Amino acid sequence: MSAETPPTSQPLVSVDGLEKYFWENDSVLDRLFGDEPVAVRAVDGLTFDIHEGETLGLVGESGCGKSTAGETLLRLQEPTDGRVEFDGDNVYDLEGSDLTEFRRDAQVVFQDPFSSLDPRMTIGDIVQQPLDIHDVGPTDERRQRVRDLFERVGLSVDQLDRYPHEFSGGQRQRIGIARALALEPEFLVLDEPTSALDVSVQAQVLNLLADLQDEFDLTYLLISHNLSVIRHICDRVAVMYLGEIVEIGPVEDIFEAPKHPYTEALLASVPRASTDERERDRQTLAGDVPSPRNPPSGCRFRTRCPMVIPPDDLEIDQEDYRAIMNLRERIERRDISLETVGGDEEFEFTDGSIPPADVDAFVDALRERVLDRELPARHAELVDGALAELASTDWDAAGTQLREVYASVCERDRPDLGEDGHPVACHLYADNECETLENVR
Amino acid sequence: MISDRIKSNLSREFRESLLAKVGLVLLVAILIMGLFAPVLATHNPHTTGYFDDDGNAYPPMGVSYDSHQWVDGERVTYTAEPSADHYLGTNNIGQDVFSRLLFGARTSLMVGVFGTGLAVLIGVPFGLVSGYYGGRVDDAMMRVADIMLAFPSLVLALALIGVMGSLTIPIPDPFVFAGVADGMPASTPLPGTVTLVVGLVTWVWFARVARGEAMSIRNEEYVKAARSLGANDREILLKHVLPNSLTPVIVLATIQVAAIILLESSLSYLGFSGTTLSWGYEIQQGQDYLRTAWWVSTVPGIGIVLSVISINLLGDWLRDSLDPNIEGEGGGAG
Repeated sequence: MSAETPPTSQPLVSVDGLEKYFWENDSVLDRLFGDEPVAVRAVDGLTFDIHEGETLGLVGESGCGKSTAGETLLRLQEPTDGRVEFDGDNVYDLEGSDLTEFRRDAQVVFQDPFSSLDPRMTIGDIVQQPLDIHDVGPTDERRQRVRDLFERVGLSVDQLDRYPHEFSGGQRQRIGIARALALEPEFLVLDEPTSALDVSVQAQVLNLLADLQDEFDLTYLLISHNLSVIRHICDRVAVMYLGEIVEIGPVEDIFEAPKHPYTEALLASVPRASTDERERDRQTLAGDVPSPRNPPSGCRFRTRCPMVIPPDDLEIDQEDYRAIMNLRERIERRDISLETVGGDEEFEFTDGSIPPADVDAFVDALRERVLDRELPARHAELVDGALAELASTDWDAAGTQLREVYASVCERDRPDLGEDGHPVACHLYADNECETLENVR
Repeated sequence: MISDRIKSNLSREFRESLLAKVGLVLLVAILIMGLFAPVLATHNPHTTGYFDDDGNAYPPMGVSYDSHQWVDGERVTYTAEPSADHYLGTNNIGQDVFSRLLFGARTSLMVGVFGTGLAVLIGVPFGLVSGYYGGRVDDAMMRVADIMLAFPSLVLALALIGVMGSLTIPIPDPFVFAGVADGMPASTPLPGTVTLVVGLVTWVWFARVARGEAMSIRNEEYVKAARSLGANDREILLKHVLPNSLTPVIVLATIQVAAIILLESSLSYLGFSGTTLSWGYEIQQGQDYLRTAWWVSTVPGIGIVLSVISINLLGDWLRDSLDPNIEGEGGGAG
C-alpha cells in the first residue's frame, strides 16, 4: 500500500463512460400489452482509471451500483454502453484467445463466501478449477500449485478433500482468494470481500489481501460500503451515488478534505469513539435513495443534499430552502393526500375543489401538515400561494409556482466530474460558482 | 457427490418415519418379485388351462370354485377344492394368477424405470439449457413445454402409440439361461413403444423442475466466479448447474416412476401394451368375471396400488431428507 501513487504511467484499467441498464417490463407479454420497458440505470456513465499496483476504492450506499460496476467491468455482464480498456484493449471487443487471456489476468473475489463456492465441489477442486479450465501444466503440477496456494492464504493442505460447508466464513473467503490467485492475475476486483465476515476476521482477510498485493504486484478495485475498510487499504477512492461517480481522489484528500456534500455526509455518518462526538454537527442524510428507474434531474444528490444552491437572486436559509424543495418534490409527485387535510372530513371536495370560503383554513391546515418549520414571511407567502392551488387540486399550477421561484441550478444541469487531481461532480465547485459555495456555507 | 450431511439426513428421516419403512419394505418385496419372477413363479405364466384328472378344463380356478354342468337334463354342481398348486387361482383361460403377478411386476418396474430414465434424459438437458440461457431461448423452449403439458398424457400416449405402432423388445432371462428356472419363458418382453411414449409424455415435468433450478443456480456467485475464470457455458452447465440441480430431479423421478407405472397400467388395460404380462392387461382380462372370479382383476390391482404407494412413500422420504425446505404434500407431478 504505497501512500502516493504517481498517476503518470499508462493506467492498467481505464473505464470510459461505462453504462449498465437493466430493463423491466421487457418480456414478450409486456410488449404484447404495450408496456414500455423501464430502464433501471444501475451504472450510468462511470469514468475512471486504475493504475498498476494501486488500490482504488469504490464506495457508496447499498444499491448505488457498485457491484454491478465491478461485474460489468470484468464483462461478467455485458454493458449498455461505454468501454473498459485493460492493458490497452477494449474488454468488450475481446474474443477467443484474447478473451481467455483477459480471464486469466482479471479475477474477482465475491462478497458472500457461502454462495461463491460450489457446495458440491471439494475445496481442492474449487481452487484447481481455474487451472483445469485454462489447461495449465500437467495434473500433478496443478495439484502442487493448489497446495502452494492453500499455504499462501493460510489454509491447511489436509483439508483439500473437504466440502465448503465445513468451513467458516473467513476460511471460505480465503478459499475464494486462493481461487482468484490461481492463474496469477494482474488485477482483482474485490466485491465487498469482508462485509459478510465477523469483525475479528475482517482485519485478517484485509491484511492477507494487502500482503498478497505486495507479493504479487496486484492491482485492486475494492468495492465496499465500509469506509474504514476503504481507508485501511485504498490508495484512491471513488465515491458513487445512484450509478454515478460524484467524487474521486487520493484517500487522504477524500477523508480529510471531502468536497462533495454526499461524501461529507457519508463520512459524518461513521460513528467515532470520541468525546467531542456530541458537539459534532452531524449531517445525517435525510430521506431514501431515489429510485434508479427515475433518477432526479441534474445532480442526482439534490433531493437529499444539505447544500442545494438556491437561485442567485434568492435570499434564503438552506434549511428553509430544503423544506420548500421537499414540499415541491411531494407536490410534483402528487404525494399529498388532500382529502384527509384537517381530519374529520372538514373540507369537502366537490368537482375537485373546495368552497372558496374554506380556502384559507385549508391552506393553514395543509401547511401545518406538510411543513415542519416556520418560513420567513416572504417565502411563507409564496408557499401559501402554491398551497392554495391545491384547494382546487391543481397540482401542476402549484408545482409551477414553486418551480419558477425556487428552481436550482442543481436540478437543471448535470454536474461534470472534472479532470484535475481530485475531481468532484458538484455545482458548488463549478468554476463560475465559487462564490456560491461561500454563500451556501 | 453425496455428502455426509445428506447421508445423515437420509438416515434420520428414515428412522423417524414409519411410512418410509413401510414403503421400503413394500418396494423391496416388489423388486424381489420382479427380479426373481422365474424362480419364484410356480407356473409358466403363458401356459393356459387347468385340467382335472378327467381332462376337464376348469377355468377360471380360484381358491374354491363351483362349476355347473348339465348331466342328463339335471344341473349338477361340482366344487373344485382350493388348489395348493395355484396360490392365487387362475384366470379365465387357466393361467396361474400368482405367476402372472410376478411377471407383471417386471413389466411395470421396467417401464417405470426406463420410461423415467428417458424422461430425465430428455427433460433435464432441455430444462437446464432453457433456464440457464433465459430470455428468448427460454421463452421459445418453455412454450414447447407448455404445448406438451396442454395434452392429457393418456390421450397423447394413445396418439403416439397409434402413430408409432407397437414394438416389444424381448429381453433374455438370465435365470432361464442359467438353468435354474426350467419351463419359464426364455425372455421377458419390454414394451418398447410404451416405454418410449411414457417418456415422451412425462419429460416436461423434468424440464420444468430443471429449468427452475437452472434459473436460480445461474445467478449463484460460484457460477459468476466460474465465468470470470473463463469457463464456457458448457463447462458451467455440466460442472455446476447439473450437479446442483439434481436433488429435486431425483425426488421428482421417484414420484414419476409411480406415475408412469399407473400410466402403463392404463395403457395396457386399454390393450396398447404390446405384452400380455402386464397388470393393467390382467385387470382388463378379469373384469368380465368380477362376480365369479374376483381375484383375476383384484390381484394385479393390488399389485399396482402397493407399488405406487411404496414408491410414493419413498419419494416423500427422499424429498423430506434432501430438501427440508419443502413441506407437506407437494410435487404436483403426474
